[in-house]
Amino acid sequence: MSNIHGKAYAMNTVSPMKPWKTYILRLGFFVWNHYKPIGDGLVQLSFIHFARWVIVPRYAFPRLSEQQPKDNLQYDYLFFFSNFNGTWNQYIDAFSAVLFSGLNLIWRWSEKFPGSVPVTPFKNFIVRGQVETDYYYTAYPHATTNDVKAAHRVQSALDDFAKLTEGMPPAKFADAYLQFLVKVQGDLGETGEAPVGT
Amino acid sequence: MANQSGSIYGLTILSPIKDDPNAEISPSLAIRMYLQTLPVDGGGPFGRVSNTHMARLVVLDDVVYFGMPSCEEHLKSQYLIFESNFDGELEPYLTQLATEARDEVHNIWQHCIGYPGVQNVDAFIAYMKRCQVETTFYFADVNDKTVQQTLKALQTQSAVASFIEKNQGKRSEELQPAFVEFMRRLNSAPRPKPGSTKGKELTDELL
Amino acid sequence: MSKLDVTDIQGFALRGYNFPFARFHFLKISDKQKGRECIGGLVTYITTGERWDQGKPKTTVNVAFTYSGLVALGLPQPSLMTFPVEFVQGMKARGTILSDTGKNSPHHWDPVWHKEVHAWLGVFAQSQSDLERQCSGLLTLLQGSGGAESIGSQDAAALQINGQPTTKEHFGYTDGFGNPEYLGVEKDSQPGQGKLTADAKWTPLATGELLLEYADEAGELPVAPLPHLLANNGTFMVYRKLHQNVATFRKYLKDKGALYPGGADKLASKFVGRWRDGTPVELSPDKRSEEIVKDQNRNVNFTFGNDLDGARCPFGAHIRRTNPRDAFGFNGKLINRRRISRRGMPYGPYTPDDQPGSDDEEHGIIFMALNASLFRQFEFVQQEWIEYGNDTKQGNDKDLLLGNHGGSGKVMIQGSADPGNPPFLCGALPNFVELRGGDYFFVPSITALRMIAANAVDPR
Repeated sequence: MSNIHGKAYAMNTVSPMKPWKTYILRLGFFVWNHYKPIGDGLVQLSFIHFARWVIVPRYAFPRLSEQQPKDNLQYDYLFFFSNFNGTWNQYIDAFSAVLFSGLNLIWRWSEKFPGSVPVTPFKNFIVRGQVETDYYYTAYPHATTNDVKAAHRVQSALDDFAKLTEGMPPAKFADAYLQFLVKVQGDLGETGEAPVGT
Repeated sequence: MANQSGSIYGLTILSPIKDDPNAEISPSLAIRMYLQTLPVDGGGPFGRVSNTHMARLVVLDDVVYFGMPSCEEHLKSQYLIFESNFDGELEPYLTQLATEARDEVHNIWQHCIGYPGVQNVDAFIAYMKRCQVETTFYFADVNDKTVQQTLKALQTQSAVASFIEKNQGKRSEELQPAFVEFMRRLNSAPRPKPGSTKGKELTDELL
Repeated sequence: MSKLDVTDIQGFALRGYNFPFARFHFLKISDKQKGRECIGGLVTYITTGERWDQGKPKTTVNVAFTYSGLVALGLPQPSLMTFPVEFVQGMKARGTILSDTGKNSPHHWDPVWHKEVHAWLGVFAQSQSDLERQCSGLLTLLQGSGGAESIGSQDAAALQINGQPTTKEHFGYTDGFGNPEYLGVEKDSQPGQGKLTADAKWTPLATGELLLEYADEAGELPVAPLPHLLANNGTFMVYRKLHQNVATFRKYLKDKGALYPGGADKLASKFVGRWRDGTPVELSPDKRSEEIVKDQNRNVNFTFGNDLDGARCPFGAHIRRTNPRDAFGFNGKLINRRRISRRGMPYGPYTPDDQPGSDDEEHGIIFMALNASLFRQFEFVQQEWIEYGNDTKQGNDKDLLLGNHGGSGKVMIQGSADPGNPPFLCGALPNFVELRGGDYFFVPSITALRMIAANAVDPR
């Protein structure tokens, strides 16, 4: 029963939104889906495997039978699910330091959001809305997203190198091997356990 | 399509949990207790539903109250949240859940309202779709590689580092045949298992 | 911002003194009242941040306290409870975070660190005789008070090579470059020490990265104890005695250097990111350059933005790990809250270069660093950038010199297709450095020292 599996942390947060504000948020997400400034920031930070925001309108919590009581909610709810690398503090620190405008645009529609800068009230907001994960599985627990991306580059370089050097005379092999080393030299970090959470 | 990024599908399911005031152990507690016993590595259900990159299960007891002046309100049901990031399409995935992980799925979702069982796969798929909520914004850092491709690449990465270390400084005459042999071994290595933490040991054995 | 009152700040917090001799006494407070009186007597000796317009003094004296030391001095409970958690726990309890395990575990620490150390009394001196004289005077003061005693001490001194004091450490590297610049702290300004602006210029870091009760780089005040006057102008110090395995290092460098086409000296430069004379590899990857070393405008003035494949300065080089500058993108914003001010000094005599050296002799470095937040600054760098490599895209690979390798692990030294600068893998890494003790200390301002001495610290 843990938020953490290997090097990945499963964060879940939920925050309430006045329904008229939900429309603005939806518009915002629509724009980002097409113009991708937040996506670029996330790729550059390179510590999230997968992340999603899910708006659940107040009438949309699934109701599967007549016996199930009908909800009567005032707020829509914004869920955030992240699979990230690094410690909790590191993660929020980084978001606050470099993605604050994007985060503000997503969360300012939630009640009592203090802004993503400065970082301490922002962390308190996240803590308040965080729900613990009961079961977390990752297929490659000892690899961060950096490790995964590096591994794919190595695989690609190896495939190319193997094809290139098939039947190559030994005199040329050493040079080709050096070129291969230079190609993969930045992508050979070992995988393994994560540093302890703080 | 907000549920998808590249070839990865982001599934979000909210299943209402039964409410049984007469039960000694409430259904939500029963789910939690069962989840505690499930292995989180490849020996668990998602090791078998093997195109799952990452998945989680969260029992949502209630929404969160942030304090005045926002209003306090409560959900009338608890929900089981299932968040999954997998390769491929929804229906084949749900089918795999119902068949490869039938026992675990049953033991978890039997506590949920409207769950029809796993015997009838079509009914199960329909039920899960009723519980599905649309992902509004989905980000996947690597969205064009499958689980198997990733596991293979990680194995390759580790093996290449070992090869480089073992053969550093060798001349072409020795290096080339060593490389050929290395490729043979790597290509005939057993497929790495999802959820495993034994990657390094296996690579060392391999070489 | 308003000017800093340097007469209220301990000089050690604001700048390194660059004196060649030092002794650190570790104190135990045996009686609350008498201990406070002793601190009251000590305050008059404390060196502040005042400029030395009349020439350097012969010695300097500074003091800092562990959490247990503040308890022993009788600070009120509500105030004690406002200190940051990591300081309250003390460094020994933070072992799993810092990778102080295996050879670095408290098991192997010097005897004094198995006891409760309450205070650090740091004396720097221009000569050995000045040092002895000052320390003798201080010990007399302690004895006279009946409230504090020295339970151990550690000498340190600039390494003498060929009879001259140097700024080298035992592996042969010239140390002491690149301490951060902070807003309001007067020191010789050098481009490259501060943070990067959006238009790639250097500017000082926020004062609150060093001193408590000032705004930090996140636009807020770092966690600090109450009352405000207790915290104001204070900072936190981490003290770590790092034993250096000189024989292991020399042998490793010799063996690997023989295989490395660029030669052992160049390989050594790749470990750290500086040649052993101090030339930054980023500015001069192929040879030493006395000219750059001596040029204050150049010797710390570089970025890694044009070296993103590590061909000049490898990703894992020590100075690139501990201060990535712009290597993570975002104009270096992710780095600005992770800087520390170093004040370390070597201990033990230098082993001449033509000898294999020993692993058993008492020699190493006393690592001391100052920061407003131990958790966010020192501990973060230690955990995430020294003992781990994900941020520097090196997976689990550790810092070659400092990492707690335990005999395994590796570091990839990036290079290029140039035969003199190839990619080169260093594996089977031994522990070149071993931790032999230390703790976290609070360095109070002069006002705070007087308040503590007078038992005038309010609960809130």
